[in-house]
Amino acid sequence: MKFVRNSGVFGFALLVAILVALPWFGPSPNAVRLLFVTFVWVTVSIAWNILGGFGGQVSFGFAVFYGLGAYAAALAVNSGLPTVPALLLAAGVALVASLVIGLPTFRLRGPYFAIATIGVSEAVRVVMTNVSLTGGASGYRILETGPFRQLDHFYISLALAVLAVAASVQVRRSRFGLALIAIREDEDAASDLGVNPFRAKLLAHALAAALTGAAGGVYAQYAGFIHPQGVFAFSIGVAILLMPIIGGVGTIWGPVIGGVVYGLIHDELVASFPQLHLLIYGSLLILIVLFEPAGLVGLLDRSFGILVGSRRIRAANPQT
Amino acid sequence: MSATDLLNLLIAALLLAGVYAVMSVGMTIIYGVMKIVNLAHAGFLMLGAYFVYELYTHLRIDPLLGVFLGFPVFFFIGMAVHRILVRRIPISDQPTLTSLLLLFGLWLVLQNLGYLVWGNSDRAILTRRTLDVLQIGPIGLPTVRLVVFAVALAALAGLEFVLHKTWFGRAVRALMQNNDAGRIVGVNVDRTARVAFGVGIAFAGAAGGLLAMLYSFSPDFGGAFLLRAFVIIVLGGLESFAGVAIGSLILALVETFAILALPANYQPAIAFSLLVVALVVLPGGVAGLWNRRRRLA
Amino acid sequence: MANCAKSNLKKWHSLSASPFFLLILTLVLPGCGKGNKASENEIVVGVVLPITGREAKPGQFQREGIELAIHQINQDGGIFIHELDKKLPVKEVFYDDGSDQAKSAGLVERAMTSDKVVAVLGGYSTALGEAESVMPDRYQTPWITTGAAASTIFSRGYQYIFGTLSPTDLLGYTTAEFLGSLVDQGKLKKGLKLALALENTDHGVDYGKGIDKWIEQHPGYFAVGFSEKFDLGSTDFSGLLQKVKNARADIFLADAHLQDYITMQRQYVQTAMYHQMISYGARGPESDARKALGDATNYIFAGIWWSVKLPYPQVKKFAADYQAFVGRPPDSWYPATAYDAMRALATAIEQAGSLNKTAIRDHLRTVELKDSLLPGQVLRFGPNGQIHTPFVIVQNKPEDKVDIIYPPDAATGEAIAPKPR
Repeated sequence: MKFVRNSGVFGFALLVAILVALPWFGPSPNAVRLLFVTFVWVTVSIAWNILGGFGGQVSFGFAVFYGLGAYAAALAVNSGLPTVPALLLAAGVALVASLVIGLPTFRLRGPYFAIATIGVSEAVRVVMTNVSLTGGASGYRILETGPFRQLDHFYISLALAVLAVAASVQVRRSRFGLALIAIREDEDAASDLGVNPFRAKLLAHALAAALTGAAGGVYAQYAGFIHPQGVFAFSIGVAILLMPIIGGVGTIWGPVIGGVVYGLIHDELVASFPQLHLLIYGSLLILIVLFEPAGLVGLLDRSFGILVGSRRIRAANPQT
Repeated sequence: MSATDLLNLLIAALLLAGVYAVMSVGMTIIYGVMKIVNLAHAGFLMLGAYFVYELYTHLRIDPLLGVFLGFPVFFFIGMAVHRILVRRIPISDQPTLTSLLLLFGLWLVLQNLGYLVWGNSDRAILTRRTLDVLQIGPIGLPTVRLVVFAVALAALAGLEFVLHKTWFGRAVRALMQNNDAGRIVGVNVDRTARVAFGVGIAFAGAAGGLLAMLYSFSPDFGGAFLLRAFVIIVLGGLESFAGVAIGSLILALVETFAILALPANYQPAIAFSLLVVALVVLPGGVAGLWNRRRRLA
Repeated sequence: MANCAKSNLKKWHSLSASPFFLLILTLVLPGCGKGNKASENEIVVGVVLPITGREAKPGQFQREGIELAIHQINQDGGIFIHELDKKLPVKEVFYDDGSDQAKSAGLVERAMTSDKVVAVLGGYSTALGEAESVMPDRYQTPWITTGAAASTIFSRGYQYIFGTLSPTDLLGYTTAEFLGSLVDQGKLKKGLKLALALENTDHGVDYGKGIDKWIEQHPGYFAVGFSEKFDLGSTDFSGLLQKVKNARADIFLADAHLQDYITMQRQYVQTAMYHQMISYGARGPESDARKALGDATNYIFAGIWWSVKLPYPQVKKFAADYQAFVGRPPDSWYPATAYDAMRALATAIEQAGSLNKTAIRDHLRTVELKDSLLPGQVLRFGPNGQIHTPFVIVQNKPEDKVDIIYPPDAATGEAIAPKPR
C-alpha cells in the first residue's frame, strides 16, 4: 500500500518537475497559454470536488467565487498590490462570500441546494452588472504595469494547481475528509455519529471558494479584461461542475483529468468544431450519469483492472 | 400614476402570471410525480417554439392550432425520453442529483441540436393577432396574452380534474406522496411515471409553442424561463396545481410592481432572489404555509 | 454517486493517473509547440468572430464581408509585396468564439502566436472587442475590430488596435443632432421631453452619453425627463413601459438588442402608447425585426453605421457582389464595416511592402480608403485607432420601405415627424 501510494506521489512530482522545466524546451506561446488555462481549470475543478465530490453538495454557483476572485484581484492589482497579495485577497473575498452564501443555503438538501446556488449565481451576476465601481456591464480593465511575461503567469497558475492537488490530498486523507464523505453518503447517519454537517459543509465550501477565487484572480491577471457576463456567466458554473464529474467525481485525480480534458481538448474543440461542443459535453454527461458515475477515472480503472486481471478490482466493480 | 394605469398594470401582471403558469406546469408534473428536477424543460420549451414556428412558416398552420398539435407529439417524445434515459436512474421520494445532471446533459444536447438544425438567428412568429388588443373601456388586453392566460387556466383546471376525478390521477397523487406505498397499493409505478413524464414534456412543448406567440426565440431559449419555473414551483409548493397558480401570481406581481420602485436593471435579480428566499424560508412553498396553518388550527 | 467500492480503487488512481497525464502532454505539446511556420507563399490573416451564440448572426455577416473582400483580392492575384517582388494570396484562418469573451481572447492569442498571422480582424460586440484588445499590444500584431464601437477600447493607449466602427456615443450624438434638425425645420417643437430606456451594456451607456452631450451643447432643444437601464433578455417590459408612460415624454429613445427590441416594441404597441418619435438606437430596419413586428416597425428611426441604400456607386457594386457571393442582399451594416476593414488592411500591407507586422501597423495609421463604403466615403483611422465616420439615420416607412433621412446629402427620402398616430 505504501509503495503504491508513494509511487503515486513520485509520479506526480515527476510530472510537476517536467512542467516546471518546460520553458527550457521552447514551447510556443500558444502551448503555454493552453497549459495556463488548463492549470486554472484544474484548480477550480479540484476545488469544486472538495465540496461536491467529497461532500456530495452539488453547487452550480461556483462562478460567483471565480468572478469575485477575478474582480478582487483586478481591483487589487490596479491599486498597486503585487501579484501574490492580490491573489490572497481574491481568495479571502471568495471565502467570505462562501460563508454568506453557505449559511442560508446549506440548510437545504440535494437538488434544492443546487437550485439555490443557481439563483445566487445569477443574482450576483446581475448585481455586478450594475456596480459602477467595477465598470458595471462595461467590464473592468487591469492596467498593465510592464511588458507581458507569459511565463510568470504560467508558473503562478502551476503553483496554484499544485497547491490545489496538495489540499485535495490532504483533505481526503484527514478526518475532515472522512466526515465529508460520511455526509455525502448519509447526512443524518453522519450527524448521529457526531459529525457536525453544517460546519463541515461550510468549511469545505470555504476552502473550495478560496481556491476558486484565487484561480479567478490568476485568470484575471492574464486576461487583462473581465466583465460580469464573462466571469459570472452561468456557463462558467456549469463548466466548473462538468469537469470533475467527467473526470471522476469524488476522487483525487478525477478533477485533475477533467480539468486537463476540458482545458486542452475544449480549446481544440472550440477551434475546430465550434458547433458541437455542447452536444459532446451533454452526451458525455448523460453517458457518465447512466453508465459510469466514476467518470473517466472509473473508465481508466476498469480498463486497468482488466489489464491487471485483479479479482479484487472485479469484486469492487460489480458492473463489470 | 392614475387608477387606470394601476389597473392596466395589474392586468398585465395577471396575464404575465398566465404565461408563467403555463410554462411551469410541465416541470411541476414531473417533479411532483418523480421528484426529478427537469432541467431539460428549457430545451423542450425551445423545441415546442420551433415546432409551432415550422408549422406556421411552412404549412401556414395557425400557431394556436400548432400548440394543440404539439401536445400529442411531445407526449410521445416525452415517453420516449423516459424509456430511453430516465427509466435507467433510480427514482426515490427525494430528489436526486443523478436525475438533475442527466437532464441537464439532455438540455445541452437539445440546445446543440437546435443550433445544428435552425442556426442561431432569432425567430419570431407574427400573425394578425400578435399585436391585437382587446379594448374593454380604459383597459387594454393584448389578445395573445389573453389566449395564453386562457390556456393556462384550462390546463390547470384540466389537471386538477384529472388528478382528483380519475383513477390515473389518483395513482399520480399516490406516487406524489410515496412511491413505495403506491406500489404496495397496486399502482403500476413504471407506467404511471412514464405517462406522467410524457404529460410533463407535452406541457413543456405546448408551453413553448405558446411562448413563441409572444417572444422571439433561438436555440438557447428557455433558460430564463427555467429559473422562473423553479421559483414558481418552490413558491407555490406542490400540494396541488393551485400551487403553480399561486407561485406564478406572486412572481408576476412582484416582478411587475417592483420595477416601479427599483431601477429596471435589477429586475432579473428579483426572480433569483425570490428563489433563494423561498427555498430557505418557505420550504413547503406558500401552499405549505397554508396547510400548516390549517393543520394547527 | 460514488459508492464504497471506490475506496479500493483509490490506490490505482495514482498509478493510472500520472502516466495518463504524461501521455496527454506528450501528445498535445508537440502539436502545439511547432505551430505554423510563417509561410512565404501566402499572407495569413486571422479572423475571430462569433458564428454561434448570442451574436452569431452579425458575426456571420461580418465574416461574409471579410471573405468577400479576400475573395476579390485573391481573384486579382493577391496583394503585391514589394519586398518579395510578387503578389501573395491572402489566406484566412477563421475561429468561432461562440460569443464568449474568454474564448475570444484566447483565440486571438492563438491566432497571433500559433498561426503566425500578420493581423487579426474580429471582435463583434464590445465585450468581445475589449477582451481581444488586450492581445494586439502583447504580441505586437495589428488588430482591427469590425464590430466593437465602445470608445473605451481606444482610450487606453494601445498601439496596435484599430476599429472600423464609429464610436457609439457618436451614434447617440447624431441621433440628438438629427432630432435637433427636425426642430430647426419646424417639424418638431422646441423643448420636447425625452424618455430613454437603455440596455445595461456599454452600448446603452455610450448611447446615452452621446445624447446627453448634444443636449448639453445645445440648450433649449430637449430635456431628458426619464432615463433608465434595463437588463438584456427580459420577458416583460410592462413595468418599464409604465414608467416611460408616467414620464409623459414626447420622444421615446431606447437602445436594445434585437430580442428586446421585439419584445419591447410589441408591448409598446399593445399598450397603445404614443410618442412623436421612436428609436431603438441602432435597431430598426433589420429584416428579422420586420418579420417579427410587421407594421409596428413603421416610422421607427435608427442610427446605423451603414446602409445599403447609401447613394454611392461603390455601395451599389458591393451590394451586387455580396448578393452574388452569398446569395442574399446585405443585411444591416454588418458586412460593410468588415469588408472595408479587410480592404484597409490589404492596402496597408501593400503600402508597407512587407509582411512585417509593425510596418503594417504603421501604414494602417496612415492608410486612406477613398472609395470606402462607409458614410462620407473616406476611411481613415483616427489617432487612437478608431474611425470617426458619420452615422446615417434611417426611418422605416410603410410597406417594408426604408429611407435614409439624415444627413441631408445622403438622404433618399423625407423624415416623417411627428409619427402619425
